Amino acid sequence: MELKRFLIDMLIMFFMLSTLITIAVSLSGSVFDSGASFGYGAMMSPIIYAALCVLPMLVMWSRRELTPKEVILRKALMLVLVEAVIMIIAFTSSVIDTGRPAVVFALIGIVFVIFVLANIFSWLKDSVAARGMNRDLERFQKKHS
Amino acid sequence: MLVEVERIDKDSKEVVLIRCHEVTEEVREIETFVKMRHGSLSGTLDAKQYEIPVTDVYYIESVEGKTFLYTSDRVFETSYRIYELEEMLKSRYFLRTSKAMLINLMKIQSIQPALNGRFTAVLSSGEKIIISRSYVKALKAALKGE
Repeated sequence: MELKRFLIDMLIMFFMLSTLITIAVSLSGSVFDSGASFGYGAMMSPIIYAALCVLPMLVMWSRRELTPKEVILRKALMLVLVEAVIMIIAFTSSVIDTGRPAVVFALIGIVFVIFVLANIFSWLKDSVAARGMNRDLERFQKKHS
Repeated sequence: MLVEVERIDKDSKEVVLIRCHEVTEEVREIETFVKMRHGSLSGTLDAKQYEIPVTDVYYIESVEGKTFLYTSDRVFETSYRIYELEEMLKSRYFLRTSKAMLINLMKIQSIQPALNGRFTAVLSSGEKIIISRSYVKALKAALKGE
């Protein structure tokens, strides 16, 4: 894969994660700590989290074509690294109450769900593209056979 | 090189003969061109030389500096380089799908999404070929006839 293409992917993932983290923090916050109020600084947290969570994407980088098995293994490693990044953020942050196991498990679960959703969205996007290509392929083969 | 065209009667077999002092790259290119016009590629299998019709080739792969032609049931080694074949077979509906692979678009049964923005081409032989995401744009354009 070209490095330029890979960096663009990282950027797209960053924006997608920023949005999803904002939604996730909003929903989980309303459940676990609905009375809390924050300053403007809190607006930056989804962006910082997204930037940190994008870094593990580097494990997907490869000059040669990865086999499907390698992709799955690297994606699993990426998920573990993302979870580790989130845990480091959570345990070093004074805002997140890591003393409550429910909060820690909720964080792990949220990250997992976001990761899976991001991959499902990507798969759905490719499925739509594949359907279009199959239609074009049929026309192409009819025309040239 | 002197080029001569000789008309022969209908009963005689048509032949393109290259008489040369040495088989140079230029001679090889002419030979390749003539064979391609005829619609076949040279390949070896078990030390025997074959002329494989281009329409029988499903895909072409380069592995460790060697190039292989895949038909429905056999694999031939060829002396051509993948980039040479890419150029030669453009008009024969072959397209690059990864750094080391050329695929015959007429042999693709369907295209499926694969992981990481890539696609899989399912060939009519049942084999599955990965389409690298760098080549997806070119594939889409080719299928649309652009």
